[in-house]
Amino acid sequence: MLPENVTAVLARNERWSGDAASEPYEAGWAREAVFFVRAIKQPVGSIPMAWVEISPDGMHWVGEGTEFRMPSERDAIAVARLSGFGGWLRVKARFDDGAECTVLVTLHLKA
Amino acid sequence: MTSIDISPATLAEAMRLALLRADPSLSRFDPLPRILSYDDFSRGHCGWSQLIGNYENDLDSMLPGYAQHSSAMLSTLGHWDAGSHGGMDSSYALKIATRARPGAQNVAIKRHTFRKRGPIRFELYFTFKPEAKELKLSELDVRSVGFLLDLQCGDKDEGERVMPHLRFLNAVDGKHLQKWQYKRETTTFSSVGNDDKTVSHYHLAPEGWLDLPGGDQRLCYNEIPTKVNWTYLRFDFDLESMTASRLQCNDRIFDLSDFDSIRIPAMKNLWCMLNFCLFAETDVANRAFLYVDSICISGDY
Repeated sequence: MLPENVTAVLARNERWSGDAASEPYEAGWAREAVFFVRAIKQPVGSIPMAWVEISPDGMHWVGEGTEFRMPSERDAIAVARLSGFGGWLRVKARFDDGAECTVLVTLHLKA
Repeated sequence: MTSIDISPATLAEAMRLALLRADPSLSRFDPLPRILSYDDFSRGHCGWSQLIGNYENDLDSMLPGYAQHSSAMLSTLGHWDAGSHGGMDSSYALKIATRARPGAQNVAIKRHTFRKRGPIRFELYFTFKPEAKELKLSELDVRSVGFLLDLQCGDKDEGERVMPHLRFLNAVDGKHLQKWQYKRETTTFSSVGNDDKTVSHYHLAPEGWLDLPGGDQRLCYNEIPTKVNWTYLRFDFDLESMTASRLQCNDRIFDLSDFDSIRIPAMKNLWCMLNFCLFAETDVANRAFLYVDSICISGDY
């Protein structure tokens, strides 16, 4: 049997500003994960760093260690490759006042 | 020795039932003779994807009700206090999670078409819970869970698009209502984009739900948010007459004589459509989770 894999869209056309994060996603069955964050509109203001968080329960979050810069122009894609992440995943970013990015956040999981 | 006169049809049905009841996966269902799909979610999402709204040229044209939807998950029902709960006979269940905003909804969909207009049966084992953020019972957090079918006649038929909707209304504004409701009307159709090819309507808008007569039911919610029990649900529908014939939830069978579906004119690209949707809705600023252990969709053809 072929190993499972799935593409999940966690945020579509969401305007991120201030403290922003994707919804929690359960992925305990997967051995590897790739987050793609695409800017689907031209970002405004300074381009912040984003980071991956993991959780024991989907409610309490801790940094996984992976960081990446948010996409700096429309249709640019930021990527984070992960393994050994336990049961839950999300991405988070913190924007300066006045900065924003409208995102498509896609999570690709593979058993 | 006496001989028993059994017709071939009776013998075939007896053999079918014997085989079903000896199969640990299917024995808990009562499928019609043809099983269209069986989903136990230990083999992936089994075709249950997120319901995405229509759009044209720009995602901003998507209606807000659809824009909030996100992908369903494969869950072990992992809880902070007791660990993974698991499903009925595998580790996994499908999880449909809302956002943490009062009135937020999420919908998963499975898309088929049909090849004969006849009886179909939709059976599943489900449960619902709020996110266990508080050390409280939280039994009033989930507003509703439910399902709908999205059906349309064949392209040579005189017919309609028919959308039977049913939900278990758990609670609204802190009141524990615990009753089944149905819907006869959708919202007004909106044109999406400017090419005049795409329209959209949000049929899960909060307006228009009607109480199913005799539809009150108290389910096994259990005693804290992280204790979970699976509930059986069955819905029978006839694609020939486009009418519902049975709703069963655990030990209760509900009278559907007052039930009707949303009925709208047939649309140009949806012939023989046979879609199934499952949805969850939260009443408070806390995520609602609809978990589905397994689903069996069957038909008599």
